Amino acid sequence: MNAYFISAHDFKPFITRLIEARRVIGPVAKRNRFTFERVTRAEDLRLDYDVTILPPKKIFFPPVQDLVHFEGERYAGCIEAEPQVLLGVHFYDVKAIDMTDQLFREKFADPNYLAAREATTVVASNVQRVSDAAFWGSIGADVAPKGHDAFLTMIETGYVFETRTPKGAALLEFGRFRIAEKSEVAAADRVNAEILEKCPERIDHPAEAVAKRLWEVFGDEALWEKLAEDCFSCGSCNVICPTCYCFDVQDRWNLDQKSGARARSWDACLTQDFAQVSLGAGATENFRESRGERFRHRFMRKGAYLNKKLGGPACVGCGRCSQACTADIASPPKVINKIMGAAR
Amino acid sequence: MGKPTVAFFDFACCEGCQIEMTNLGDEAFLELLNHIDIVEFREAMSETTKEPIDIALIEGSFTREADRARLEDIRRRAKVVIAYGQCATTGGINALKNHQKDYKEFVYGHAAGMPHLASDSARPISSVIKVDYNAFGCPVSKYEVLQIISHLVHGKEPVIPDYPVCMECKRRETVCRYHEGDHCLGQVARAGCGAPCPASGIPCEACRGFVSDPNLASLKKVLREEGGLSERRAETKALMFTANETAGRPA
Ligand code: SF4
Ligand code: SF4
Ligand code: SF4
Ligand code: SF4
Ligand code: SF4
Repeated sequence: MNAYFISAHDFKPFITRLIEARRVIGPVAKRNRFTFERVTRAEDLRLDYDVTILPPKKIFFPPVQDLVHFEGERYAGCIEAEPQVLLGVHFYDVKAIDMTDQLFREKFADPNYLAAREATTVVASNVQRVSDAAFWGSIGADVAPKGHDAFLTMIETGYVFETRTPKGAALLEFGRFRIAEKSEVAAADRVNAEILEKCPERIDHPAEAVAKRLWEVFGDEALWEKLAEDCFSCGSCNVICPTCYCFDVQDRWNLDQKSGARARSWDACLTQDFAQVSLGAGATENFRESRGERFRHRFMRKGAYLNKKLGGPACVGCGRCSQACTADIASPPKVINKIMGAAR
Repeated sequence: MGKPTVAFFDFACCEGCQIEMTNLGDEAFLELLNHIDIVEFREAMSETTKEPIDIALIEGSFTREADRARLEDIRRRAKVVIAYGQCATTGGINALKNHQKDYKEFVYGHAAGMPHLASDSARPISSVIKVDYNAFGCPVSKYEVLQIISHLVHGKEPVIPDYPVCMECKRRETVCRYHEGDHCLGQVARAGCGAPCPASGIPCEACRGFVSDPNLASLKKVLREEGGLSERRAETKALMFTANETAGRPA
């Protein structure tokens, strides 16, 4: 890992050259929010964003994606993986990328995800503005982000650019970088450490204690039904989550009735029929029929089930679910802190 | 199914859902005709049929006892019956009158007494005959209808979403209406349209009706507390396309 420095003055020309040379995706404004989009002009890039509506997982795992195209008996997979630079990913989303990397790699490796992932250079950037639902300062603090190729931190005089991989180092040629001074690297470390204290929300308990408590209250139906009373089963809290990875697969025919596509789209375990399965002969069963059961499932996934496999909770504290939930019941800090205090 | 025969029938409606199919455009519509045999379609042709048909698309609500025999005849002749459009699937916008008394005077003024305006409450087609599939929406989604027909042609079960519009809205990363000081019914509305309304900056009005398990108590609360609607507006808001579902179906 090497640390470089680029002055504030040279930064915009760097982005401009990068955009000319590569397909660049970064945070841009959308009405009063932010989204990751293809950036075609340096001035559109908004590294001062707080959080994006959808996490960067959409770059590797799009909301709707064709998997196979068919025509009559012939069919072919359709993996598109254009080389690209994903710029401006906050550290909590980098952690989430590590997790989806692991989940999409295990057992039945997902070639579509992995191809897009391989083709992408991930450049993280420091959080300049904190979203009003963020709690990344207090969750999974001991989980180090490592899915990125370089990390960009804004300090007073410019930007420190720390490269982690050859892919990250390959971007140096587009800007006037020099080796960073020790003091500059120290300033960057300070910026990244100080921001951790700035989250408006927090979970006041270590991940192990939360996981243990979730298992303890698992059977407390009344608690879960109460927590989920206002739930719309809308699935928003799932699909906007950087560590959710469920999808549904359906076929689509073209007008000619011969050709078409097998496509996947993001699915969500909070929706009413997610767990409805066939029992054969036209019969079905829903193994998570009540709102409470589905609500509990998400919290078990984020706080308990995956901890061992991922080395920490499958929640990175982005607060997107808190913001997306119109019923205002999905916030992990609120729910977890309540559960931690709930009578046994 | 080989090349299936398809017929459109209309009851109490604006026939906008038939028009929506022609909105596929000439080329696409003519291509479709290579694969299905349309034997009755009032908005686009004058022929009618008395023969058996593979797929009957029935548009409009049931509002007159006199229509019962015609519906039963269609059911007898059709292999598959699809309730086509919100008027047919739930009563749709027509069902608004089920809970009003003075609508005729209001709409038609002094002509309100004309005999052809006499009708009963608006009900879904399924209140008279068995319906196999629903094509929701006011108007229907032409793409969804194409997929329903394609699935039937290929002997597959059509898949109609039973999750809220919010899912499709999030998939296209629309800024939520509630984050711009507005309100929305997307949390209880049935998806399948692709969430075009919030994407255009207007609330979803649930024109495809509700999901099968809508949380209406929570909706009222959110409309009031987050959407800034008055108690009464929050109560009546969801009625436009779903009067039969919110205020109870007529007996
Ligand atoms: S559970 Fe919520 S806060 Fe945690 S990672 Fe997912 S969206 Fe972010
Ligand atoms: S976003 Fe809120 S209302 Fe929607 S499914 Fe999640 S918890 Fe329920
Ligand atoms: S559902 Fe709407 S568009 Fe279709 S016929 Fe009824 S009123 Fe017209
Ligand atoms: S705009 Fe409407 S449909 Fe979209 S997420 Fe918000 S409530 Fe749901
Ligand atoms: S977003 Fe809502 S109102 Fe608009 S088409 Fe879809 S269901 Fe109808």
